[in-house]
Amino acid sequence: MEILRLENIHKNFGVHHVHKGVSFALNKGESIGLLGGSGTGKSVLLRSIIGLERIDSGNILFHNERIDHLTEDQLKDFRIKISYSFQSGALFDSINVFENIAYPLREHTKLTEHEISIKIKDMLKLIDLEGKEHLMPSDLSGGMQKRVGMARAMILDPEIVLYDEPTAGLDPQNTLNVVSIMQQLKARGLSSIFVTHDIPSALSLCDRILILHQGKIIFNDSPLQFQFSSDPEVKKFFIS
Amino acid sequence: MNNEIGSDKNSAEIIHHHLTKRFLKVLMMNGEIFQLFIDIIRSTFSRPFYFNRLVEQIYHLGRGSLSITIVIGLTMGLVMTLNFGYGLAKFGGTLYVPAVVSLSLAREMAPLFTSLLVAGRVGSGIAAEIGAMNVTQQVDAIRALGTSPIRVLVVPRFWALVISLPLLSSLSFAVGIIGGLIVCKNEFDITTGFYLSKVFSTVKFHDYMSGLVKSAVFGGIITLIGCYRGLVTRDGTKGVGQSTTWVVVTSSIWILITDFFISKIFLMIWN
Ligand SMILES: Nc1ncnc2c1ncn2[C@@H]1O[C@H](COP(=O)(O)OP(=O)(O)O)[C@@H](O)[C@H]1O
Ligand SMILES: [Mg+2]
Repeated sequence: MEILRLENIHKNFGVHHVHKGVSFALNKGESIGLLGGSGTGKSVLLRSIIGLERIDSGNILFHNERIDHLTEDQLKDFRIKISYSFQSGALFDSINVFENIAYPLREHTKLTEHEISIKIKDMLKLIDLEGKEHLMPSDLSGGMQKRVGMARAMILDPEIVLYDEPTAGLDPQNTLNVVSIMQQLKARGLSSIFVTHDIPSALSLCDRILILHQGKIIFNDSPLQFQFSSDPEVKKFFIS
Repeated sequence: MNNEIGSDKNSAEIIHHHLTKRFLKVLMMNGEIFQLFIDIIRSTFSRPFYFNRLVEQIYHLGRGSLSITIVIGLTMGLVMTLNFGYGLAKFGGTLYVPAVVSLSLAREMAPLFTSLLVAGRVGSGIAAEIGAMNVTQQVDAIRALGTSPIRVLVVPRFWALVISLPLLSSLSFAVGIIGGLIVCKNEFDITTGFYLSKVFSTVKFHDYMSGLVKSAVFGGIITLIGCYRGLVTRDGTKGVGQSTTWVVVTSSIWILITDFFISKIFLMIWN
């Protein structure tokens, strides 16, 4: 079942034409790996899906309902269902790990303190940061920050997660941790778009690979086809 | 020859083009600041309103400015009384010193100088704080998590300063009056009783009101400009630095301009 569809997305920054007609769809439970050189507009694409960036033309449909022209207020409900895991983590640096993860719960649910702390404990177990709830973001390593950011994006059980380079800049051990978290979430039925340069992780996790090149999706097929593709543009990725 | 004339025309066109562009940019910015103001008002009267954040900001912005307020109030009281005192003494008008000092403190000096100092301290602080959150994508994170940066960051700061700046100005006025008293007693042999009775009989309700209204408006201006600039800050740490300077200068200018008009309105109403 299709839950998210992008149709002919165009996006400019002044004269800089980032997206020149991007189209693809995401099915329920599916993980898409979105590859592309740096600066090709992968982050802008993810940001556009939840309305952090406004597209110039095209349609974005969530459960066949257009969400690309909604106001900030109207987008609120969709931002709970489609969550964005920032490349840097983007943790609130004035509050601790517990409060960072609890933020969406406090904003959008009526859970009691006790219920919140139970949920956070579970989440900390999942991201392997038990006992670290009272640390401030500045006390965490980059990898830990990313995991806390993922936890915060995940705490409201969204339908789709958009991961922006979750393994970039991590050592192999941390990369394994993050990919294993993503695998567990996928097993729970979560759909995702996984933006990355990390081909092995993408291949191990994704059901489909997309390549964004010069403003368009130039490849959209299974990981197997990706590995054996004869297209030189695709091969370039696989070799690198 | 022809070429030179051609290039002259060109440079005139270029200058014209640049001025137009600059003017449009300033116009657009003022439009955006006005839009932010409208958003603040709208967000104030619809849910969610973050009351706990408001209290936190009153504590943070207001209490943090206490010492600076006391210092500026006391200094104004001491220095103004000294100057007026010796100035008026020449004409035998020393007895008018309490009236002159208290009136100018209440209407002008306390609200204006307190607000200018707070603009320096709090305005730059707000721009730095929100600017840093913006360049580290924390503002985007607030949006991505289904909440509004205006409600979470701007509205509490706005009302916190609109509430606390009049209180700070009042404190600054009170301390200034004490400063005046110290000088009057020691330099001009005016008794405490006479001084205070003069202060209370001269400064009328509308003089206090004028000072309070001004402070509230200045508080609004400082947070509006600080938050606006914070939210449009780009270019990492360098951008944050530029933003703080810009906010102090811009909000000071706006305070000075508004001060004139509010004074005028109050004089028109009460005279
Ligand atoms: N707010 C912005 N203003 C202007 N240009 C931008 C903005 N955001 C991104 N860009 C440009 O859009 C292009 C794509 O950026 P991005 O999506 O971050 O690339 P990446 O694929 O590495 O994630 C880059 O060239 C970047 O400079
Ligand atoms: Mg990116």
